[in-house]
Amino acid sequence: MTARDLFEASAPVHPDVHLLDTDAGPRVLLADGSRLFGVGRALYDRIDAARRDPDPEVLDAVLADLGLDAPRRIDDLAPDPPPVRALSLAVAQKCNLGCTYCYAQQGDFGGPAKNMPERTAFTAVDALFRDAAPGERVNLAFLGGEPLINRPVVRAATDHAVTVSRRTGIPVTFSITTNGTLLTPEDGEFFEAHGFAVTVSLDGVGARHDLLRPHRDGRGSYQRVMDRVAPLLAMQRRMQVSARVTVTPLNLDLPRTLEEFTAAGFHGVGFSPMLSSPTGHGEMALPDLEVMLEQMTACGEEFVRRVLAGRRYPFTNLVTALREIHRGTHRPYPCGAGAGYLGVSADGELSACHRFVGDADGAMGDLATDPDDAKRARWLTDRHVHRQEPCSGCWARYLCGGGCHHEVIRRGRPACAYIRGWLHHCLSVYSRLLAARPDYFAA
Amino acid sequence: MSDDRIDPLNLTAQLNHTAAGNPPSTLPESAISNAYPGLEFDIRTIWRRLLVGIELHEADNYVVDAQPEHQGLIGRRLISVGDHDVIGPVVGPTRPGAGSAPLTSAGNPDGVMMLEWSNSLADVLADHVGRTVPCLFTADAAPNPVGKPAQLPDPRFQVVELEVRPLFARSAATGERLAVIAEDVAGPGELTSGLCSPWQNDYRECACYYWAASRPDYVNVEDTGAGTTTGNHWFAKDREPREYVLDNRDDSRLVSYDDLFRDWQGELRFIVGGDDAPEHLEADPEGR
Repeated sequence: MTARDLFEASAPVHPDVHLLDTDAGPRVLLADGSRLFGVGRALYDRIDAARRDPDPEVLDAVLADLGLDAPRRIDDLAPDPPPVRALSLAVAQKCNLGCTYCYAQQGDFGGPAKNMPERTAFTAVDALFRDAAPGERVNLAFLGGEPLINRPVVRAATDHAVTVSRRTGIPVTFSITTNGTLLTPEDGEFFEAHGFAVTVSLDGVGARHDLLRPHRDGRGSYQRVMDRVAPLLAMQRRMQVSARVTVTPLNLDLPRTLEEFTAAGFHGVGFSPMLSSPTGHGEMALPDLEVMLEQMTACGEEFVRRVLAGRRYPFTNLVTALREIHRGTHRPYPCGAGAGYLGVSADGELSACHRFVGDADGAMGDLATDPDDAKRARWLTDRHVHRQEPCSGCWARYLCGGGCHHEVIRRGRPACAYIRGWLHHCLSVYSRLLAARPDYFAA
Repeated sequence: MSDDRIDPLNLTAQLNHTAAGNPPSTLPESAISNAYPGLEFDIRTIWRRLLVGIELHEADNYVVDAQPEHQGLIGRRLISVGDHDVIGPVVGPTRPGAGSAPLTSAGNPDGVMMLEWSNSLADVLADHVGRTVPCLFTADAAPNPVGKPAQLPDPRFQVVELEVRPLFARSAATGERLAVIAEDVAGPGELTSGLCSPWQNDYRECACYYWAASRPDYVNVEDTGAGTTTGNHWFAKDREPREYVLDNRDDSRLVSYDDLFRDWQGELRFIVGGDDAPEHLEADPEGR
């Protein structure tokens, strides 16, 4: 199916139901509970007619007749702010690269460049563990800017978290997102010892990457990053080293990028469209997103070929989508931002996530006074997908959750057709793989 | 796939799908979460036909029926399946303060008891599904419990190879295992056929505060002003005097089993807000 066909096939008709004609047969997705069914052709046609009927009770009656009219799993009420179980520390609000599209505006979030003091990082770690109960786990993430500019605090905070974890019995996992230019083999050993999830920002192969992610003096960074990542790729056992590709109109060659990074040994390769940059540089418009969807489905077809042959292919977007579709994940938010996950600025201010550092829109109090639960409650109420438009009329709202808060607040929702088209493709791939390789989902 | 068929594919679809023959109470959102023997379904039922060719009693290691090739097993007792015994010794004190000793009797000379199937057969299912497994039976019909012999072979026992049947159905669309109990393990209606019957029996059987919501214990409660209360047992035939009659199936002031069997719908009253509903207190003007 071409991207244009996917746009058309996935266009919203009814908020409660979506229909798919897959290679494995007709399929019905009920938005409520993200429930996917195989159906016969007659039933497919009956539901199709009902979802297009101007009388909303017609579809309700058909679903009731099929025994599918369960109470709705997601209501309009926002949950109370949950305990914070994940923090990201902006340990360095500065960066040695000059990526034009960067949400952090080359690392400093539009303010003075600064490092997080060790004491602030320790306070954040203590706060993370303070209310965790036995059986729970916490995650500590390091971001920036470029976090390795402040390597001593990354290491000290990690060691401190390990100490607190041992004392409390609360397991902790670690992650870091880096531009890769400052990585050393010793960093690799440290990350391996602590089982880090290491995400390296790479925007394509060679010159493509250099165009988008230059040093501040204009020199390219690709070769330097790949040279420095290589020892980590070789030593990863507990740690997982993944590539994150921010997709702009200038680096739309996704299958080659995926192939190259897979061959290099990355544990996962994920693509994310650039939807909102402070300068407008690199933002994707609908024609670009159509090209991207074409490229993503091409990556998906290669994934299917490999999985059918019993091999692994680390196309993270599809691996994750298939897992969530199989579980029937349904959620009123796109992520845990402002809920169980908060960002911490170098000054110890809390925000809804790492992207809202220094931004009043996502301010959530500070470490000295604990998270501001009133602000978090307001956030969860305002950001609930039932209060988002045009989400309330869209069948994909509980799979998508309404889209990245930061991008939506900054730019709106320019990528709905792309997201729906991609989910439609993922649902089709799921149907095919479930029929051909049910063992893929057994684990 | 036939045209009217609907096949749940992903996990949420499977969990919330009413399988053919199952009542609404088998869905998570309508469950009362009491499944032994239960209000929604009797979980013991699913083990009766786990071994292909024979049917076991849901609460005894006794063969109640068999396919023609295993007719000889009817009336015999199953002792073990593979490495898993389905019986265990019964031990305990025989007088207050005494230590534990084997509890034997004339009807149970070996002092053994069948182990609940979910405990004794879950590992069998996990380890041997789809394959045959040696099953140890008594060689003859055994109306009473029989213990496991110290050594095998023993002429009083016989090993029969039986296949372990899958518990779950498979999707017609994908062939993948579903979160639905297979029809040849329990046919339509079988999961619910042995359920308890609250109105006729179990409201009487399960006494004080067992039925938290649907069978109140203490109703028409009033504060005496002295820090105590007065009120009625829900089962009190007369609401005067207003006193709580301690639950006792022999006390004629309370509704008896016979009363319930004969006229549960006449004896039991609706309670609204903790008090008898008005229609039970005032004469019905239309005489119904």
